[in-house]
Amino acid sequence: MNASARLIAVCFVLAALLPLVANRYTMFVGNAMLVQIILAVGLNLLVGHAGLLAFVNGALFGVGAYAAALLRDSLHWPYWLALPAAGLVAMVIGVAVALPALRLYGLYLALATVAFAQFALWAFMHWDAVTGGPSGLKVPPIDFSPLPVSPGLGQYYLSLLVALAICWLTHNMLRSRIGRAFVAIRESETAAEAMAIDVTRTKTLAYALAALYAGIAGGLFAPLLGLVVPESYDLFQVVFQFAMVVVGGLGSLLGSVLGAALMVWLQEGLRAFKDLQEIAFGGLILLTVLFLPGGVAGLLRTRLGWREALHRPVRTR
Amino acid sequence: MVRIALAMLSAVLGASMALAPASAETGVSDHEIVIGAFGVLTGPVYNYGKTAFDGAEVIYNEVNAAGGIDGRKIRFVREDDQCKPDVAVPAVRKLIYDDKVFMINGGACSNAALAAMPEIVRAEIPWVITDATAPELTAPPKPFIFTTFQVGWMETVAQLQRALELGGKKIAIVRQHDAWAASRYQPLLDAMAKGGIKPVADEEVAPDVADTTAVALRVQASGADSVLLLLFPQAATVFMRDTYKIGYKPMVIGGSPLGDVGDMQKAIGIPGATARFEGLAPTKALDDPAVQKYAPLVKKYFPNAELTPWHLVGIATAQFVVAALKQAGPDLTRAKLDTVLATMSLTPDVYAGPIKCTPTDHQCYRTVAWYGMVDGKLKQVGETTLP
Amino acid sequence: MVALGLVVVYRSTGHINFAHGELFMIGSFLAYSFITQFHMVYAAALLLAVVLTFLLGAATDRFVYRRLARSHDTTLVLATVGLSFLLKGISRFFWGGRGEYLTIPPIVDPAPVFVFGIPVLAQQLIVLAAAILIMLACLLFFRMTLAGKMMQAVAENPLAAYLAGIRVEQVRTWTWGAGAAVAGAAGVLIAPLSLLTPDMGFSLLIKAFAATVLGGLGSVAGAIVGGFCVGLIESLAGGYVSSSLQDVSAFIIIMIVLIIRPSGLFSAYRLRRA
Repeated sequence: MNASARLIAVCFVLAALLPLVANRYTMFVGNAMLVQIILAVGLNLLVGHAGLLAFVNGALFGVGAYAAALLRDSLHWPYWLALPAAGLVAMVIGVAVALPALRLYGLYLALATVAFAQFALWAFMHWDAVTGGPSGLKVPPIDFSPLPVSPGLGQYYLSLLVALAICWLTHNMLRSRIGRAFVAIRESETAAEAMAIDVTRTKTLAYALAALYAGIAGGLFAPLLGLVVPESYDLFQVVFQFAMVVVGGLGSLLGSVLGAALMVWLQEGLRAFKDLQEIAFGGLILLTVLFLPGGVAGLLRTRLGWREALHRPVRTR
Repeated sequence: MVRIALAMLSAVLGASMALAPASAETGVSDHEIVIGAFGVLTGPVYNYGKTAFDGAEVIYNEVNAAGGIDGRKIRFVREDDQCKPDVAVPAVRKLIYDDKVFMINGGACSNAALAAMPEIVRAEIPWVITDATAPELTAPPKPFIFTTFQVGWMETVAQLQRALELGGKKIAIVRQHDAWAASRYQPLLDAMAKGGIKPVADEEVAPDVADTTAVALRVQASGADSVLLLLFPQAATVFMRDTYKIGYKPMVIGGSPLGDVGDMQKAIGIPGATARFEGLAPTKALDDPAVQKYAPLVKKYFPNAELTPWHLVGIATAQFVVAALKQAGPDLTRAKLDTVLATMSLTPDVYAGPIKCTPTDHQCYRTVAWYGMVDGKLKQVGETTLP
Repeated sequence: MVALGLVVVYRSTGHINFAHGELFMIGSFLAYSFITQFHMVYAAALLLAVVLTFLLGAATDRFVYRRLARSHDTTLVLATVGLSFLLKGISRFFWGGRGEYLTIPPIVDPAPVFVFGIPVLAQQLIVLAAAILIMLACLLFFRMTLAGKMMQAVAENPLAAYLAGIRVEQVRTWTWGAGAAVAGAAGVLIAPLSLLTPDMGFSLLIKAFAATVLGGLGSVAGAIVGGFCVGLIESLAGGYVSSSLQDVSAFIIIMIVLIIRPSGLFSAYRLRRA
């Protein structure tokens, strides 16, 4: 394992040890970090590796959360079934949105997906019959019987295992043909086509994966919070997610992990100052883009020589 | 990483503290009582949280200056929930497990308070609600949870009563699309049905709506002579401005968020726009001498602030808490405080009526005062006591 | 008008500025401060706010976008997104103390005048007149003046423009400034009619996007027509269908147009491939 992978492994080991010393508040923060890691990995695949600037993740995160809550609530599905199902629902919707978006590029894509994200938020708010409208839905904690763990502890380790699995899967995928296909279409679609890469299929796959991860993250987030409300999935959430991948490092798995941990930590630290939160995240994105385009992972790469599969320097024209 | 390091450090410290002789109750020691408050400290409705907590802090500081309660000083800790349920959940966890408070005197936004409730119930920690009006918080009554502010349905029933008192015959409702309005809308309809009245118009707007011209036109077209607003100040300001714009001047009755009519008038900016507007508040008028005596105290601890009705809300609830703590005595535990609160009563000098809790009724406050602009000045124009 | 500013910038730089809405918002807030704190006359406040937003727009180009001129599209959009949140947060910090929404005292008597039974506010007429003037001025500027033609040249083909002796980077900066100024002016004009909140920038931005997309991303006339259409559709939807639909019509317009006819109604440009 190279240095980046080792650091990721260390992070997960520390995370596994956290419950020994944490109180319910710290556990919440740790669990939130794990959920955000899953989100960040998915977003980074889409924006960093595949180069598709889509703002759909916030909405799909919400879709996953609502789906998981509804499946348990109305259809009485057990959680171990509802969670992957939520991921699949988000994936289906993500692909449905992606199909028209395939024809769009750059800023058109950004615009359309921002519009979709706001539309989704509006739907969460106003489709009272299904989403509970502004009050949202209550989500009971997960019962882990017959395992002898409390819901809080169980949820934490579940998030940990899922995050670990997703990181491992992504790590392997990036070393495979699929990963190379993503980067190929990011660099130049025409060239990719010339190399017999099916651009449409690759793009759709990128959207699908990001959506799947976002949906699963949503399914994990809902019982953590104990409720699903529309405000959690607004524009700020989108900017937060982008801050994670930009500051962490676009196109880098380590970047997703570090960025997620860093941003959640920052958010908790700035808990008292909502005004500063916006300045902080907006400013961070701006400063990183201006002065440190590769993010933290990029820094590690250039200064310490830490290499990662398919982690390229930021492209210049 | 730092967080984890800190967590380990606090675990070690915690273990060492367990060896020292100390009070068995969390948040209480020989020299202090820790009171926590979660609520909206930033954002458009920060008055319900920050300003009210400032008022409470005035009382707690004064009590400390006089020597504290049974020799213990009060330490007041605040956490911001930005009026959002998903922020309230970690905020209240932080209060309970990180700041380790003895009791909570907070809760300003209904949605956020409801989200925080399961965590508070789980921790079995006393909670005196400052001004969150969701009825589900206190009905059916749960141990440890009490409110010193009128509850949602009380406000809308009072609004209806007031409109009828003032001679309203055709009543319209304008409400916002959120949980706060939803919880007080149904009781309003029920109260209207009981009186055999049907609303002539029933409009819903987004809480951050920027233009309500269409809504105002529809309400005007319905011929309503009074409009009941289930709105927060931002939407209400827009609505009032738009009714003025189309030349429609009905009687308008608002709830507690709109109680500071002077503030509303300033926000609308058009002279005379609030001529037929009334809002309610649990507090006495600002020029009442009993109230004015707190003005210098507020200035003492918050030099940049002017006394507002929201300070008074904090003052009243803090006075109630202090009285209960004093009655609970030096042997202070959460269970003991709960017993005291269940039969506690106090008439704060800044509230229009008494705060009175019983074991079967934790909605301890039921008197609201009406405010309107008379000759350009904010004046109390009426009072209603709910059953 | 905000859409107009967007289009102006897009035509000469090929980029969309996510922070555009915030420039509009800052224009409003600056006017608020000038009028209430410095007691300036409305016209003077308008002028000063416009000048300041012009400078703000030019400054962001000079310091932010020029550094990124050679980067991937993604990076630039991300930078503008970050900037928009930064500006929003700063505004909230400075002006947000009073519960976050502010009103400008009315400039003229706010009592409505009834024209054929329809209430009309004097302020609305002022806004309409000013907007039309500014839009005409822009059209003329691009078609007639040397500066306008230089901006167009830079947009069409920067290399050729450079060879023709046009200082491309400076023109770009001026264009960003001009786009910002138009947005700022829009903000000042609308201020007496609506509430000022730090979040107003984003909703205006979406509507401006809808207008530009509808009209065609490269076309100035298209932006104007698009703006009218969006405004019309919103009011109709809000009035006849449901108030809640009013907020979301802009998004639906964007989504539908981008799916069916991405080049919009008037576009002179085709979609460019990456």
